[in-house]
Amino acid sequence: MGAPGRLPSGGRIDRDRPIPFSFNGREMQGFAGDTLASALLAHGVTTVARSFKYGRPRGIVGHGVEEPNAIVDVGEDAGTIPNLRATEIELFAGLHARTSRAAWQGAVGPFARHLPAGFYYKMFLHARGFPTWERFLRATAGLGDVPGGADPDTYDHLNHHCDVLVVGAGPAGLAAALEACRAGARVMLVDEQAEFGGSLLAEQGTWAAEAVAELESCPDACLLRRGTASGLYDHNFVTVVERRVVEPRSAPAGTRERLHRIRAGQVVLATGAIERPLVFANNDRPGVMLASSVYTYLRRYAVVPGERLVVFTTNDHAYRTAIAWQEAGREVAAIVDARPEPSGARVGDAVRAGIDVIAGHAVIEARGRHRVREAVIAPLDGAGDTLAGPSRRLGCDVIACSGGWNPTVHLGSQTGRKPVWNEGAVAFLPADPGNGAAWAGSAGGARTLRECLETGAAAGAAAAARTGHGDGRVSRVAPDVEEPSEGAERALFLVPHRRPPSRAPKQFVDLQLDVTAADIELAAREGYESVEHVKRYTAMGFGTEQGKLGNVNGVAILARALGQDIAATGTTMFRPSYTPVTFGAVAGRDVRGFFDPERHTPMHGWHEDQGAVWEDVGRWKRPRYYPRDGESMRQAVDRECLAARDGVAILDASTLGKIDIQGADAAVFLDRIYTTGFLRRGVGRWRDGLMLHEGGTIFDDGVTARIAEHRYLVHTTTGNAEAVFEWLELWRQTEWPDLDVYCTSVTDHWATAALVGPKSRDVLRKLSDDIDLSRDAFRFMDVREGRVAGVPARVFRISFSGELSFEVNVPAHRGREVWDALVDAGGEFGITPYGTETMHVLRAEKGFIIVGQDTDGSMTPGDMGMDWSVRANKPFGFLGDRSLSLADHLREDRLQFVGLASADVVLPEGAPLVNARESARAGPNQGCVTSGYYSARLSRPIALGLVRGGRKRLGEILHCSLANGRDIPVTIVDPVFYDPEGAAQDV
Amino acid sequence: MLRIYCPYCQEVRSEEEFSYAGEAHIRRPEDPGALSDTEWGEYLHFRTNARGPHREMWVHAAGCRRYFNVLRDTVSYEILEVYPMGTPPPDDTSGDRA
Amino acid sequence: MSDDPGVVLHALSPRGCLNLRGDLREAGFRNATATATGVELPLEPRTWRFAGDTAVYWLGPDEWLIVVPAGREADLERGLRDTLAGSFSIVDTSGANCFLNLSGPAVGRVLQKSSPYDFHPRNFPAGRCVQTVFAKASALVAGQADGSFDLVVRRSYADYVRLWIEDAAEEYGLARR
Repeated sequence: MGAPGRLPSGGRIDRDRPIPFSFNGREMQGFAGDTLASALLAHGVTTVARSFKYGRPRGIVGHGVEEPNAIVDVGEDAGTIPNLRATEIELFAGLHARTSRAAWQGAVGPFARHLPAGFYYKMFLHARGFPTWERFLRATAGLGDVPGGADPDTYDHLNHHCDVLVVGAGPAGLAAALEACRAGARVMLVDEQAEFGGSLLAEQGTWAAEAVAELESCPDACLLRRGTASGLYDHNFVTVVERRVVEPRSAPAGTRERLHRIRAGQVVLATGAIERPLVFANNDRPGVMLASSVYTYLRRYAVVPGERLVVFTTNDHAYRTAIAWQEAGREVAAIVDARPEPSGARVGDAVRAGIDVIAGHAVIEARGRHRVREAVIAPLDGAGDTLAGPSRRLGCDVIACSGGWNPTVHLGSQTGRKPVWNEGAVAFLPADPGNGAAWAGSAGGARTLRECLETGAAAGAAAAARTGHGDGRVSRVAPDVEEPSEGAERALFLVPHRRPPSRAPKQFVDLQLDVTAADIELAAREGYESVEHVKRYTAMGFGTEQGKLGNVNGVAILARALGQDIAATGTTMFRPSYTPVTFGAVAGRDVRGFFDPERHTPMHGWHEDQGAVWEDVGRWKRPRYYPRDGESMRQAVDRECLAARDGVAILDASTLGKIDIQGADAAVFLDRIYTTGFLRRGVGRWRDGLMLHEGGTIFDDGVTARIAEHRYLVHTTTGNAEAVFEWLELWRQTEWPDLDVYCTSVTDHWATAALVGPKSRDVLRKLSDDIDLSRDAFRFMDVREGRVAGVPARVFRISFSGELSFEVNVPAHRGREVWDALVDAGGEFGITPYGTETMHVLRAEKGFIIVGQDTDGSMTPGDMGMDWSVRANKPFGFLGDRSLSLADHLREDRLQFVGLASADVVLPEGAPLVNARESARAGPNQGCVTSGYYSARLSRPIALGLVRGGRKRLGEILHCSLANGRDIPVTIVDPVFYDPEGAAQDV
Repeated sequence: MLRIYCPYCQEVRSEEEFSYAGEAHIRRPEDPGALSDTEWGEYLHFRTNARGPHREMWVHAAGCRRYFNVLRDTVSYEILEVYPMGTPPPDDTSGDRA
Repeated sequence: MSDDPGVVLHALSPRGCLNLRGDLREAGFRNATATATGVELPLEPRTWRFAGDTAVYWLGPDEWLIVVPAGREADLERGLRDTLAGSFSIVDTSGANCFLNLSGPAVGRVLQKSSPYDFHPRNFPAGRCVQTVFAKASALVAGQADGSFDLVVRRSYADYVRLWIEDAAEEYGLARR
């Protein structure tokens, strides 16, 4: 079909590049340079949506980010992108757009219209009804279709640094960027449109194109189009979402959106202004549009959205719309000007062009059901509150409105500085954002093109100077612009009707959420005074357009209802984001495998080849167990445990945190950090240590070896490595800078293989000829240096299993080589690799704790039965020492570490314990299970746990309550289940 | 997103590289054993929680790993001063601290 | 692989690494290290120096990374321990560090995707080095005279960092050496 609204010439569209597209199933054709909205208007499409609450027909109102009605879904299935503004979608071949459906309408249909303002809140008042309503509300929330399946597109982030960031590439932004560039600053210019130029794109001049060309020739200017600045955060950190792939598709191809994270020395906010609509009866009828939007469609897109125009204005600016309309060969019914005596130069132009200017009048109502057919106009009284005479009707199909301009103050207000009402400007003007940001152009209140160019150039030069570039003076004044003289504008928000708002046809304030002037007056009558409360009560500004059109009118209507002025009423707080941001853009590449880095040990590939089942420990991938053909986890772990107890087994322990401590005061330092004493430990020996928080609770545990006179190697738990390192540095740097001690993390330097079992010595002997491995030469708690498989190694005789055990440490880049040699040498002894699960069973059989599993951050050494590790009477004491004597830490009924024996069920970790004679669910809690396993060695389940005053309750029976409702009896026992004498490790 | 001057790296760096390390100038008591439970509790748990200028420690965790002091306004997030460990607090203009 | 790669990722072979700590106020510390390594200690923050096949990177006001060809670290450590006196620490970290080199016309973009640090030539000319956040890991990045960048990453993160770089460079065309 044809495009009746398309003009034969003019505009920035390329008539040689037709583009087919469809909207709600209807096939149409536009041109390169069109937006979906301009192409729809060219085809005479008037109704693009049904309104959210009342289901009224709605048409296109704006031409950019402010559009409330033409909200569409694009793409199919998982590639669906919901809730896009048709005014911002660049036309592309194969675009299939459909109106975003409000879930609300499907769910309640005609009932919706009977829901008053504050409906949600009124329902919440009556808690009894809430469960019913909640289900209903959940089903109705939201707009647009949620895409099915995982998003096929990718998103990423890009960091930037610049001296001067200019947001907005209209006349002010271009002038600012030019001046900053000329001064030698690193400049970044971002604009949400595909082309730079802003309002100049609807004009004939060449300056914008020349300015862009000059910027493009600057090597240090970064120009970003299709990028919406969504947030201005502390210290001039700005996020910009760039739309890189316009066409959605089902297969991934490049990055669809890119979040730019910009750190700017200075920010120039040249975000422009959005025209303010006027609130009159049935002002939501398709055909009621912004005057600036009608002008833009005419001049930029060569589209005339109707046949006969009425302009309704409070200012001179909208006169250009009527003149352009007439130049396009269409009829102007009249300019209805609310001012009694319009006087500017453009008024004269219109009159000379033969346009009927009706002064002192207002459009009080639009008539026509699916499209405006006539405007009802009437004279206004001096205050603008009542009508001063009879009304009459003007036939028309478009009413272009201008109630003045709202500076786009959002970004600057996000820093917490609210804009302030200015009577003269009839606008909320932005407060000085401070901290190296500044306003320019109409965003800062400039009224004319000349003012925009001048304030932009000045802001650009000043910003550059503040970053050390140039002297702050403007280098070249922008071109001479012929500026028509302007008359003052009239403040008008809610246009009076013959009937009061509550009984007049609906006068819409927020088109997207169907909030009317009557709703706001109702809120005021019901006692709401704060604009923030009224916003939430009426839902004004809650839609995807966030009040860009309606907010100021809403504030003005509220102010009048409350009998106060607009300044006292104030505006709502703007928070990021300026426009909706996709979750994908926020997540960037931090998804799937990149969501959290995987850390790999040098032996990772070997584990993979062996088919290890993984456990995530912090960021590390650790083998949990190695199932052999068809084994269950239990079978594999039983086999691994018995191998360690009866033969020889090998564990990759490279993930343990390791810190190299050197310096003359190393021993003094460690004595202060650990509960244990290090001063008298000999070189070549290690010992366990507990590290406490200052509150006396256990922070970490591990083995510390004295490597040389003034050198120690500290081991931490895998999960705590970084925290312990920062802890050591904190005390070293802040409290004890006088100590001669240095800490260096060597976690990644060492690969560690733990060789465990009665035959471990036989294996190691095959690979090391320079370490005497005999029982008496290499005692338990000894550390030796030598070669293992030809690689320089440090070997610990240590045991976290209760068996004879050696931990072989070699530099990580040779870890795999040594591991392979150990496995090879162990072949004849049936060496068995084992994972973290077996490690846990072996240590639990011995009653060894895991910090963070058997402790929860509130446990003291005494609670865990580890008083042996606390050495009193150190010269300095140690961190946490003082807290151990706090009264609460001495209570007898504290949770204490015990073993738990059950007959046949492996107790689940976290299961609560209660006294036996009481019902499990009602009785006071006596503690919980912290570790539970099946012990293959003992052929029964074992568990560890925390029980109130537990150590004095050995033999007592508690009940453990399982998730399936079963209660099972458990006996409190000593936590050491296996080889309490320690004979096995001392062979 | 804060941008913090590291006095050791001698340049402004992004917040991602730093970790917050609590209020500054809280000295560990010389002889904890001499304190009452209450006094020890004060040291352990009580902080100024200032609204306005606040002296705090940061560590350049992903950079040089050095701790340093920052005077930061907890309302505006403006960083008013950065100074190394061991330096006494510069003249306090906020007047809200002992 | 691309014929005209925007980014070239070169995984370098292991090197010998020593982490050196010491107090610049101690007499002789600077001279002793210069004698033992053959390289003047870089004292200016965020700089590195090299002579022959030995490079020294500033890591902090009392911390440097010395990099030598693999296998030479043990001799150098002995040499330093013999020469230095007073307060110092030397730790062999050869196993901990993996070395990568990134080059190509789009290398700056890959760094922008990976790090909040400003690697623009105005801020980071050749001879600079910086420890910073790299994706969700960290790295020491050094600017080379040929415009390429050396990356030193912790071994346990090396697989992750390589995957990250391959992903980030894909759109520019990546060649691996």
